[in-house]
Amino acid sequence: MLLLPILLALRVAEGDGDLVVRLQRRDPEALAALYDRYGRLVFSLIVRVVRDAGIAEDLVQETFLRVWNRAQGFEAGKGSIAPWLLAVARNRAIDYLRSAGGRERNALELEETAHPALWSDIEQSLLDSDRIRRVKAAMDKLSPNQRQAIELAYFEGLSQSEMAERMGQPLGTVKTWVRTALRSLRDELGTAVPA
Amino acid sequence: MNHPELRDHYELFALGLADEPEKSEIREHLSRGCEVCMAEIRKAMELAALVGATAPAAAPSPKLRRRILASTGYEPRRIGWLPLAAGVALFSLFAAVYFSGRENQYAQEAANLREQLRRQTIDLTRLNEAFAILAGPETTVTTFGAGPAPPRGKVFVNARQGVLLIASNLPAAPRGRIYEMWVIPKRGNPAPAGLFQSQADGTAMHIQRGPVDVAATGAVAVTLESEGGAAQPTSTPVIVAPLER
Repeated sequence: MLLLPILLALRVAEGDGDLVVRLQRRDPEALAALYDRYGRLVFSLIVRVVRDAGIAEDLVQETFLRVWNRAQGFEAGKGSIAPWLLAVARNRAIDYLRSAGGRERNALELEETAHPALWSDIEQSLLDSDRIRRVKAAMDKLSPNQRQAIELAYFEGLSQSEMAERMGQPLGTVKTWVRTALRSLRDELGTAVPA
Repeated sequence: MNHPELRDHYELFALGLADEPEKSEIREHLSRGCEVCMAEIRKAMELAALVGATAPAAAPSPKLRRRILASTGYEPRRIGWLPLAAGVALFSLFAAVYFSGRENQYAQEAANLREQLRRQTIDLTRLNEAFAILAGPETTVTTFGAGPAPPRGKVFVNARQGVLLIASNLPAAPRGRIYEMWVIPKRGNPAPAGLFQSQADGTAMHIQRGPVDVAATGAVAVTLESEGGAAQPTSTPVIVAPLER
């Protein structure tokens, strides 16, 4: 019995890189471990986008199956798989929103499998709780319009034209809000987002 | 288009908001492995991931994990059986220990009973022998120890069966000592007639089997001797019973 916490600790200590290698070997235990590590985060993101728990669960399943089937295309480095996983989740959720709303699928310039090398060196601790708190604080510092613009872009996949229409504002104004917000976030998180 | 011109467009690209011609330009840079654009896009993706992580925390149903794993054809280990299996194992261990203890207890009780039976068999044999002496028609009886303090009792002598000593008020022999009975002839040295101990209540019964020349015997006596006994008495007798005829 004493071995159990030690084994659990060893599993937790395993890096994402090792997890990806095991996924590429089609080790189902690795998928289980990936879900245990990031399942809540993925579900939280998707349910924020689609605002329906049942649909969100379907999309979470789709996300993890996509990762399972496409892990070969991910370059296993020392970094975190979480940003890639979140990108897959976001793309699935926004795809759903767009298909449900009859909108054209145009938000996904960056397909998650397009450039594997992009995802392999992201810092392992990028999504630690301290950084998430900091980005929340930075989002809170944005003006309401700026924050809404960023959220509409990220969580609803709206283009800037669609945001302008949704917000009833000129396109130029929305573009300014978006750029200003992104610059503010970049400045606030300058040390959080490594160069 | 150079990199400074693209600087403000990487994050827009990562969020799906880039306009043309910057969008195509960045795609083209990425497709030829432009290191500057790769690094900038990586930072933009990290920022996007952090924004995604600000979604309010929510928990999926517990069934979702099993559903996902099942959809890969993987049957996860049924953790639900683990406590049951552990319980069965624990119960088995407990039962083994318990019944092992019970078995040891039964074995001990059986050994005790065997010992008790052995003692009772010995006692019965002695009683039979004693009865044979007592019932003999030619058995002589001698009483000894008339006073209140000394050992009291009787000596029964049968010419064919032997000598029976029954005593009371006979204190336990000191440590390392034992009572020895003597058949003392009218002429000659006392003959050793066996060793014995008194009971906790001061009673004693001792039998010396075998023929006795009653006519030639003057007395039966008991002395305290060392544990191995003695060939001849070494102490003053604690019991002396002159035979009466």
